[in-house]
Amino acid sequence: MTIANLESFIVEFFNAYGCNVQNQESGVIQVELTEELDKALMNRPFYWHYMKSLNQQGVPMSLTLITDPDKRDMKGEWIDIGSPRLQQIFNHVTSQEKYVLLFQEVEAEINTPLYPWLLANFKISYSGRQKKEELISLGIHLLNGKMIVNMMDELEKLTLKQQISDLCYTITPIITLSSGYKRLEKIILNYIDNQPKEWANEAMETLNEEIALLQHFYQDDLDDKILKKEVEELNNRYTPEINIEVISGGIVYLLDNFPKS
Amino acid sequence: MDFIKLQTDQTFIKELEKRVESDGPFTSHQLFSLAHQADQAKIIPSFTGLRSLDFLPHMSFLDHQLVTAKETIEKMNGRAILADEVGLGKTIEAGLILKEYMLRGLVKNALILVPASLVNQWVNELNQKFYIPAVSHRKNYNWDGNYILVSSLDTAKRSPHREAILANEYDFVLIDEAHKLKNHKTKNYQFVRQIKKKYCLLLTATPIQNDLMEIFNLIAILRPGHLGDMTTFKQKYTGNKGKVEADTYLKQLIERVMIRNTRENTDLKPSNRHINTIWVDFSKDEASVYDRLNNLKKVNDMFTKMTLLREMCSSREACYLSLNKLLESRGEDEDIQSIIQDIGQLPAHSKADKAVELIQSIGDEKVIIFTEYRATQLYLQWYLQQHGISSVPFQGGFKRGKKDWMIQLFRDRAQVLIATEAGAEGINLQFCHHLINYDLPWNPMKIEQRIGRIHRFGQENDVKIYNIAIKNTIEEHILTILYEKIQLFENVIGELDAILSELNINNFDKEIESIYAESDSLGEAKIKLENLASIVHQMANENKAAGEYYDNR
Repeated sequence: MTIANLESFIVEFFNAYGCNVQNQESGVIQVELTEELDKALMNRPFYWHYMKSLNQQGVPMSLTLITDPDKRDMKGEWIDIGSPRLQQIFNHVTSQEKYVLLFQEVEAEINTPLYPWLLANFKISYSGRQKKEELISLGIHLLNGKMIVNMMDELEKLTLKQQISDLCYTITPIITLSSGYKRLEKIILNYIDNQPKEWANEAMETLNEEIALLQHFYQDDLDDKILKKEVEELNNRYTPEINIEVISGGIVYLLDNFPKS
Repeated sequence: MDFIKLQTDQTFIKELEKRVESDGPFTSHQLFSLAHQADQAKIIPSFTGLRSLDFLPHMSFLDHQLVTAKETIEKMNGRAILADEVGLGKTIEAGLILKEYMLRGLVKNALILVPASLVNQWVNELNQKFYIPAVSHRKNYNWDGNYILVSSLDTAKRSPHREAILANEYDFVLIDEAHKLKNHKTKNYQFVRQIKKKYCLLLTATPIQNDLMEIFNLIAILRPGHLGDMTTFKQKYTGNKGKVEADTYLKQLIERVMIRNTRENTDLKPSNRHINTIWVDFSKDEASVYDRLNNLKKVNDMFTKMTLLREMCSSREACYLSLNKLLESRGEDEDIQSIIQDIGQLPAHSKADKAVELIQSIGDEKVIIFTEYRATQLYLQWYLQQHGISSVPFQGGFKRGKKDWMIQLFRDRAQVLIATEAGAEGINLQFCHHLINYDLPWNPMKIEQRIGRIHRFGQENDVKIYNIAIKNTIEEHILTILYEKIQLFENVIGELDAILSELNINNFDKEIESIYAESDSLGEAKIKLENLASIVHQMANENKAAGEYYDNR
């Protein structure tokens, strides 16, 4: 878990969406929602529908969120890492804020070129008897094909804007997005190939054992309907599976010296 | 590698290309990195361990509950019988397991089948304790979709629900009180057997009651073949009344799909309950009012009479209010009027005196008083104040905020909480360990709930329960005939619930009401009450024996 300070995460979240946030007392966050966030978080579609049909401006709600256990008794909504409200915030931000097109901020005095990078944050899920996930952030330079890992961490060191800085200009990619992506995917597949496979072998062994057990149980009637159902259930439960998904990413224009070593 | 199903992702790059072409929309660096933080927070970094604990910081689990959840997931691959003794938290274990699977993305929909009387309790516990968005099944709901549905087995197995459920596939199926499935010829059993499921938990405190075939049948739901085929098993074990442990091999096999924690093998040292019944005699004047009420010829409805008598045992005020109402509905009535007058003349209620005496003897420690009547509550508050004892009221009608406020006042300021309602879930009063039953409800479940407010995990002291009852009155019947006989106050939390649902007694109040209403004399009512108590008592003993049947090693 990487959210070290839940309170500042929440404050930053609401600020980023342009809400009016009061956080004078530590552990207590008061937010006036925007219409967008009210619709996303407050679950009252009928209200907004009704207001729209009346051609009226709706009034977004306010929230008081409490993160300090000592202040739990105060008026407001308790929020912690597991609470539905935070999960809702997580889901909103992870589903809505997946794609970027960003430019490194540069205080340039002469014309300065920015080079295109493709960023892809991969999530790999391994599931067999159990499940495990892994995040890998990769980047590829779309001119020379140079690749780096932990791209996200590198980007955190920079200031990135949605507008390009004065006197900067972008270089047109040579490598297309889709072939750049293919190269990144190849790295991931290669990585997976070199990972230990015990988990998958174990899952297969268990699956075979369970099926044998089942067939023994139904030995008098191997066409039994329930037998087929049970075998299918076993397959669902144990067949080892690796799922690769890009959870976020985009294009980032950066100075020539990236990544600074 | 080739036996692993591999799935890659093309949607991201296609969507990105599309957005580049149409100039967006794109997100800011700040929101993008917030999203990344959230993604990182949700990641499941390891095949093993309970990731859910990170997301449930408000819960404290007992060691055996954690071990059970871990074993069920890691060793039993999510199919198990959870057979803890009553009161060790099977629900908690099941909730934790479900939560873990949901967090790992392995469970999206679930079907939870429980006795009708427990549906709401399950929904609440999953919501409040585990942040699992469980809902109880309603008439117009679908059985498919990504829901965590809670329903009663009886509803689920009836048409058209049955067909809808069997057409669906569930990631997780849970059956509470699974001993109802021990007979493979029943409809319940056939139905459950056919549900398509990935993970499955069967919860029961009594996995084997009479016959080893019962456990064979339960296991066949989870892992057919685990105990061999039925014919062989039958030959070997039918009529074998010997205990499971006589066959170490069988016992080991069973332990691979079943977890049973007992009080003895957990480090749980439950605080004890001490029950004191304090008998009070009515004063001469009070006794005479009570007798006059009892002999009121014009009230021939047994139930109304019982109510008046019970109220008289609680406070003059409660009885006075009812008599007044009676008068309003009947018009002039000399008898009633004169009783009302007599009540007005009575000095303080003998029971209230006793309560004050008791609270003073308890010293500075916190005390909860439960009463059935609002009038009594008000009176007691006033009366305690007269004796310099601070108290706060608590009742069901309060809004959530006010309830919390009252409890806080009780914790920080007042010595006594006077409550008319015990049911409110989620109120924790473990900081208090003295409870006075100022009058006794007819529903023993209410008593359980009352005691459950303070006698729960986290209570560090022995719990002291005082029943104040008035001699030679209806209270004596209820207490001695019914409650003492079913050992109500000694019962473990939850046990009675299971028994009543097994007996199909959904409404104990009504049961007792009808006993009184349908009896011509108190004597007759007494005998019927005794019969009822015997059945419950017998059931409790059977359940206990069934538990021991497996546990004896």
